[in-house]
Amino acid sequence: MTLKVLAIDDSKTIREMLRHTLSQGGFEVHVADDGVDGLEKLECVGPDVVITDINMPRLDGFGVIEKIRSQKVYSALPILVLTTESAQDLKERAKNSGATGWVVKPFDDEKLIHAIKRITVG
Amino acid sequence: MEEKSKSLGDVTKNVHHVIQGEYFVSDDPSIVLTTILGSCVATCLCDPVARVGGINHFLLPNGDGKDGMEFRYGILSMELLVNGLLKMGASKSRLEAKIFGGAAMNNGLARIGESNSQFAVSYLSNENIKCLSKSLGGINARRVRYVPTTGQAQQMLVSEQSADELSSAKRLVKAEPDVTLF
Repeated sequence: MTLKVLAIDDSKTIREMLRHTLSQGGFEVHVADDGVDGLEKLECVGPDVVITDINMPRLDGFGVIEKIRSQKVYSALPILVLTTESAQDLKERAKNSGATGWVVKPFDDEKLIHAIKRITVG
Repeated sequence: MEEKSKSLGDVTKNVHHVIQGEYFVSDDPSIVLTTILGSCVATCLCDPVARVGGINHFLLPNGDGKDGMEFRYGILSMELLVNGLLKMGASKSRLEAKIFGGAAMNNGLARIGESNSQFAVSYLSNENIKCLSKSLGGINARRVRYVPTTGQAQQMLVSEQSADELSSAKRLVKAEPDVTLF
């Protein structure tokens, strides 16, 4: 079964890179331009994993995580943060909000794919 | 370390020098940012409404191109600069760019300068960031001065001797990718 990834990032460059990298890794990739767009696409895509940036207009990554976790149906949905930020307090905030993992850019293809596979193993 | 300077207007400015691999953002109207570029490229970004701006200074690692990692460090440098400005109140849609550098310093670095330049132009286009002006390529190093709050920029070509010194400058260090699973 092909796993579905919803990648939320306000940078078109990053979205294209994720689409390319994760498609090559065997995932079905859907992208969203920011947090609001990501939440709108969440239901129609029905992803197996969400990857979200932190710094985004309209709704940031923390808001995305909190909104997703506020819905019972998504309580177990793996959420990976992909960001330029590496401060420990931000990692803690993401963890407390319900994130499953944190990846600092620039990401390594194999490590990102490996991380996604680890957190989506049922 | 900051020094005093009188140019880019008559007001005495505090000078902050941005070195390779760094970025710097500011909303301080009394500051002028400087950098010296060989094959490297500096992207100068300003939101003229929020009156904040900044510079990055990057050199893409000379990878084999197979995994695209060399571009990821350029993207990282751009993202850090843009995110730094957004945190200070800038709007991405208002950002105006000026780009400098990418010289062919010698045979070994000629291709890298071109590659850095192409990356910067392509990134700005991809992200819909308006590029007001660019000075890229050539064989001379450049000294750039930039007022982040107004977007004013000055460029001066640097002597051959300085260019040689720049060409041996340290390359961008690859940080280890960081994955944390909670």
